[in-house]
Amino acid sequence: MSKSVTSVTEESAYGYGIPLFDTRVNLYQGGVLAVLLVSLVTVPVWAPPWAYLFALANIWAIFAASWDIISGHTNYISFGHSFISGAAAYTTALLTFNVNPDMAIYITFPLSVIVAVVAALVFALPSLRLSGPYFSLLTFVSVLVATKAVFIFSTYTNGEMGISTVSVLTFDTTMLFYYTLVPAVIITGALLYISRSNVGKVLKAIGQNEAAVEAAGLDTTRFKLWGFVYSAIPMGIGGALLAHFYGNVEPIAFLIVDRSIEIIAIAAVGGMGTILGPAGAAYLFLFLRDEVFKAFLGPNARWVAIWSVVLVLLVLSPQGVLKRLWTFLGNLGGDSS
Amino acid sequence: MTSADTPLEVENLRKEFGGLVAVDDLSFEVNSNEILGFIGPNGAGKSTVFNCIMGVLSPTDGSVYLHSDEITGQDTHETVNQGLARVSQESNPFEEMTVEDNIRIFAVSNSPFAFSSNDDEEVIRSLARRMGLEDELGTLPDSLPHAGRRRLEIAKALATEPDILLLDEPFAGMNQAEIRDLSEEIRGFRDEGITLVVVDHNMRGLMQLVDRVIVLNEGRKLADGTPEEVADDERVQSAYLAGEV
Ligand SMILES: Nc1ncnc2c1ncn2[C@@H]1O[C@H](COP(=O)(O)OP(=O)(O)OP(=O)(O)O)[C@@H](O)[C@H]1O
Ligand SMILES: [Mg+2]
Repeated sequence: MSKSVTSVTEESAYGYGIPLFDTRVNLYQGGVLAVLLVSLVTVPVWAPPWAYLFALANIWAIFAASWDIISGHTNYISFGHSFISGAAAYTTALLTFNVNPDMAIYITFPLSVIVAVVAALVFALPSLRLSGPYFSLLTFVSVLVATKAVFIFSTYTNGEMGISTVSVLTFDTTMLFYYTLVPAVIITGALLYISRSNVGKVLKAIGQNEAAVEAAGLDTTRFKLWGFVYSAIPMGIGGALLAHFYGNVEPIAFLIVDRSIEIIAIAAVGGMGTILGPAGAAYLFLFLRDEVFKAFLGPNARWVAIWSVVLVLLVLSPQGVLKRLWTFLGNLGGDSS
Repeated sequence: MTSADTPLEVENLRKEFGGLVAVDDLSFEVNSNEILGFIGPNGAGKSTVFNCIMGVLSPTDGSVYLHSDEITGQDTHETVNQGLARVSQESNPFEEMTVEDNIRIFAVSNSPFAFSSNDDEEVIRSLARRMGLEDELGTLPDSLPHAGRRRLEIAKALATEPDILLLDEPFAGMNQAEIRDLSEEIRGFRDEGITLVVVDHNMRGLMQLVDRVIVLNEGRKLADGTPEEVADDERVQSAYLAGEV
């Protein structure tokens, strides 16, 4: 097979394979992907005690993939994505707590997503016109302001204790897993489609050389704005979903900047700009943190362990561990033909 | 103001960098469907003029008109969409994207809702064929030879479907055969109705190609005429240190 050494392994460098969202996937990649997907879908069957954890990981996969479509592509690094999901969760909570505890989910859910997108744009709009560092700073500030606001308006938000009037999706962990898996799969698929499309390529080009994209006749501000919307919509969905997952919305689990940093770490470990990498890394991250390290190290020391692991992985593989594995599998196919 | 005969016009353009006057009260127009040579020694201000036209730099003073509209200081993408494209002096492809996707970025429509388009595929393929890159579509720009990288830059600019194309030192670093091929290509663009401005250090290589030459020196227009007239101009010769033109 005549393949230049510098060919991009993930873009059409293979002689055979099936096209998946305009990407050639070789047999090894396809096989591993299929096994992982089947394992994920059947978690409640082969590991019932893990169903709850993986249900939570489904939501975090949504967060990581959503972050990736804007920040992983354009390199406009958002430190404030928990502000977007938090805005959605708090909208659901505030409506049920302050307006009507029986308000139907089909009203609160879409409202929450809309509020999240609008809130996100208020912060992002001015900074998207500027450069990456301003965007990072303003998104960071958005979380800090929102977290403070929860405490300032504790009459409505119930401060640190949070609001527990939100209905829980279900107490059946198997059903909980599938209720979160379905949106996770749909959203990841949709984001993967955008990433592989012309729009996703433009977002990636912006991340490499914004001036050159302008020279292509493309309004980079408008692309960044819509990239941000494509990110904020699923973030809002994930946030509202998380509210119904816990049934209690409080700042620590939903809003504080630590949550945003976790999203970034997950995306970086998975491989920025790949969508599937960040989504997959969410399962890895939560499994290590909430299952492995919690069992061996307890609820506090596990944080030290998980961040140490993230640090080591990023030093060893700055491009992202999962992306590297994917490329490795791709080259297996390339060399054998 | 521009008319149908002069699609691009620069009026009293001035650009200062701190205390340095890089372009000084420069006025010129580009005639429809001509190949205009734009020459001047190192640091004469040629690229700065182009940067001001493209909106990459905002001029200190003066105006730029494109197809009768004033475009001074306008966003680059708007100017490009009005039919003016520029190939920079330095190749700056998206290094992490294939040759194919590099051209694609310049071919796609300016809409965050246009996720796919079959037209683009056709445009990409025919431009690649035209610029001799059809076998390199899957490779990264880094593995192209110098002339190939320059050709990629031209393919990208053409993908925006310009009616005026500014080429900043397209021949730099090319050998004689490559210069001849590219000159042939440039004549072909003109035959298709594109107006061209070709920047170079000197007249060598341009003599046969251009219809008209403007000479820039220290930010000012020194001469404007046919290649023969300009080559004979004494002020031009002295600016180039005795006959280096
Ligand atoms: N961004 C900038 N900031 C400060 N000075 C600049 C800048 N760009 C250009 N200059 C200066 O302006 C003058 C004109 O530069 P310019 O690049 O336009 O010349 P040029 O004719 O294109 O030269 P060359 O043939 O070397 O490409 C030079 O003295 C250069 O140092
Ligand atoms: Mg120059």
